[in-house]
Amino acid sequence: MKSFLAGVVRILSPGVSLVLALGLVSVLLIAFLPAHSADGDGLQVWVFDANQATLYRTLAPEWDRRHPTLPLRISQVVGPALQSRMLSGFYSGTPVADLIEIDRIQVAPVFAGPLQDVGFVDLTERLEKEGLMARVNRASFSPWTSRGHIFGLPHDVHPVMLVYRADLVEAAGIEVNRIETWDDYFRVMRPLRSASDSDGYIDRYPLALSLNNPFFSEIFLLQGGGGYFDGAGAPTLNSPVNARLLARLALWYGGPGREIGNFDMFSGAGLQLISNGYTLAILAPDWYAGSIVTSLPHLAGKLKVMPMPAWEHGGRRTSVNGGTMLGITKASRHPQEAWELAKYLYFSPVVAERLFATTHIVSPMIPNWTLACYDAPDPYFSRQPVGRLYLRQAPQVPLRPSSPYIGTAILMVNNALTRLIQIVESRHFTAPAQIEPEARQMLDQAQGLLLAEMHRNVFLNRPTP
Amino acid sequence: MSSRRPHPAWAPWLFLAPFLLFFAAFGAWPLVRSFMLAFEQTFGPRTTVYVGTLNFRFLLHDPLFWAAVRNTAVFTIGTLVVQVPVALALALLLNRPDLRGRALFRLIFFSPTIVGSIFVGVIFSLLLEKRSGLVNTVLHAAFHSWNPDFPWVDGFVMPSLLIASLWLSVGFNMSYLLAALQNVPGDQLDAAAIDGANAWQRFRHVTLPAIQPVIGILVLLTVVGALQLFDLPFILYADSFGNGPNNAALSIVTYLYQTGFRSGDLGYASAIGWILTIILVLIALGYRWLTREEDAAA
Repeated sequence: MKSFLAGVVRILSPGVSLVLALGLVSVLLIAFLPAHSADGDGLQVWVFDANQATLYRTLAPEWDRRHPTLPLRISQVVGPALQSRMLSGFYSGTPVADLIEIDRIQVAPVFAGPLQDVGFVDLTERLEKEGLMARVNRASFSPWTSRGHIFGLPHDVHPVMLVYRADLVEAAGIEVNRIETWDDYFRVMRPLRSASDSDGYIDRYPLALSLNNPFFSEIFLLQGGGGYFDGAGAPTLNSPVNARLLARLALWYGGPGREIGNFDMFSGAGLQLISNGYTLAILAPDWYAGSIVTSLPHLAGKLKVMPMPAWEHGGRRTSVNGGTMLGITKASRHPQEAWELAKYLYFSPVVAERLFATTHIVSPMIPNWTLACYDAPDPYFSRQPVGRLYLRQAPQVPLRPSSPYIGTAILMVNNALTRLIQIVESRHFTAPAQIEPEARQMLDQAQGLLLAEMHRNVFLNRPTP
Repeated sequence: MSSRRPHPAWAPWLFLAPFLLFFAAFGAWPLVRSFMLAFEQTFGPRTTVYVGTLNFRFLLHDPLFWAAVRNTAVFTIGTLVVQVPVALALALLLNRPDLRGRALFRLIFFSPTIVGSIFVGVIFSLLLEKRSGLVNTVLHAAFHSWNPDFPWVDGFVMPSLLIASLWLSVGFNMSYLLAALQNVPGDQLDAAAIDGANAWQRFRHVTLPAIQPVIGILVLLTVVGALQLFDLPFILYADSFGNGPNNAALSIVTYLYQTGFRSGDLGYASAIGWILTIILVLIALGYRWLTREEDAAA
């Protein structure tokens, strides 16, 4: 050893020796210093949405006053990064927050493994014991339920309504109260579908949707009673109702009977098109109504909300889009405090009021539905009580059984729709009956592919392909 | 004159040790581990089940994987066919001594390279928007019959990706070729001109052979870069997680990312990664084989 060190000293210059020594000291320090979370001590909460982060930060002083030894630490981490940090923590034990607020697509992989390896605390017992199951909108739990166990508190209900250009529609003498079905809607609005210049291209559509965004087709399938998985987690892509609805959607998007503009309305460019009247209406979950208010202030008083027209007479007048949960990580050293905080953030009337005021998101907690804020006339939406209108639809919001394969399933069905539209365009189909056999065939194919994918997963109950 | 004792035999290893340690930790071990993972099914790296060759067998019949292979191959060929000739044309243009403002043009053509692919994805998603995008707006203003809702991104997935990729990389390739062109011996070009060779003949028989090694390297870099296509479709088709309409934008690396980092199946992702590695190695070997005569001459 002595000769080795002597040899090292002999071959290294003093400068190199110094650098080497500093390097060794640094490595030893990093290796032996106690690990701290990057976000500091306290009760850590990771959220992906800037509005939520701002809201929770305003609540932090009150929490800190009541819990002086466990201050609240809110970190905003954007979606994909949040998912990566969360999964790294769950898979490999890297530091994670005590509470993670995450959307339903980003959280889906958490449920792909054995139940005991899910990185969130199972909340089922607590929810039942404290009577919360009965007090929270039932459909709001479904995306966070895996194999009968609930792993997150639901943040929202997210009913979907139509936001429409009341100034244009009412000026044309159209009474939206008389619209009940989509057929009614397109028939009544057709006179307003127009080309405003001489180029022959339509410059105003009754509705705009994006084929590129697969969540639009999900909204319609769920509204019409279709879906992707049953309660046991088995895929139902090729159900007859899905085929029927997809056939009708394909006719809206393409062919001689095209009814809608194909444009991503959940984007900045999409918002611009509402503003310039390219579309008379857009699908708007409650969270998007909030975005519209913030992004298009100049349309104040020109927009109104109405229930989605149903697929059939007497059918459901709403659907659901988005969804966020708050879960307590198993790595949390303060699960009891985290549970208290989670309930406060998601179920307390005070926070529900502030949430609605800043984002238009309505609470999933049924007793909160009597809050006065939901009945206040909203000057932006032509003095409609927007909160109440959304809440009226809340009990009809469809269930969305969770699956780690939900993202894949939604994409597969949307791909089937894309191919159906191509067929409609090339063969000039005009009736759903013409395209329905093709829809069934494509959905059978998608179902087969998804089953094969699921069957490969040795950690889940494997459905038979 | 001072006499120095020879260094001990292990001295080179001491100097190599930092690299070897880092390479072992971040290069060799991950390679070995990913090879092992390719024969396992995982839920993260801690929960694993040995599944033999199941991942590779599933891969052979996985339509999404083959869609990704097809898209990546089309993109690679498209990139090769478009990028190198356009870069060469720009380099030839900027190599003209009589061109005014050459430095400015070089800066303009090279600057997208500095922007980075993520920003290029964002920029092109705005430029190619229907109705409100700059491309459709300008085309509709110039040609009244142009459809303002022309579906660049939805309907022309590969052309959209190729255009964005061209804008991003052509300046980089051009700068290599420009450097090569500036090293073409002027006396040979003069001699050819005196012998009566026209511009095309001078290019074909003097310039092209002189810059051929650089073209070869660019072809290899372009192919390897194109096979690793990820960020552009991931941004342009963010709504569909980078897949695009009917999976038309899905690339091998996007599929690998989705499988490994969105679904947590590192085993299947490793299998995809190894297939991609084999493809890249085969291409590199093919390149070496094609250029063996030049290598021997050098």
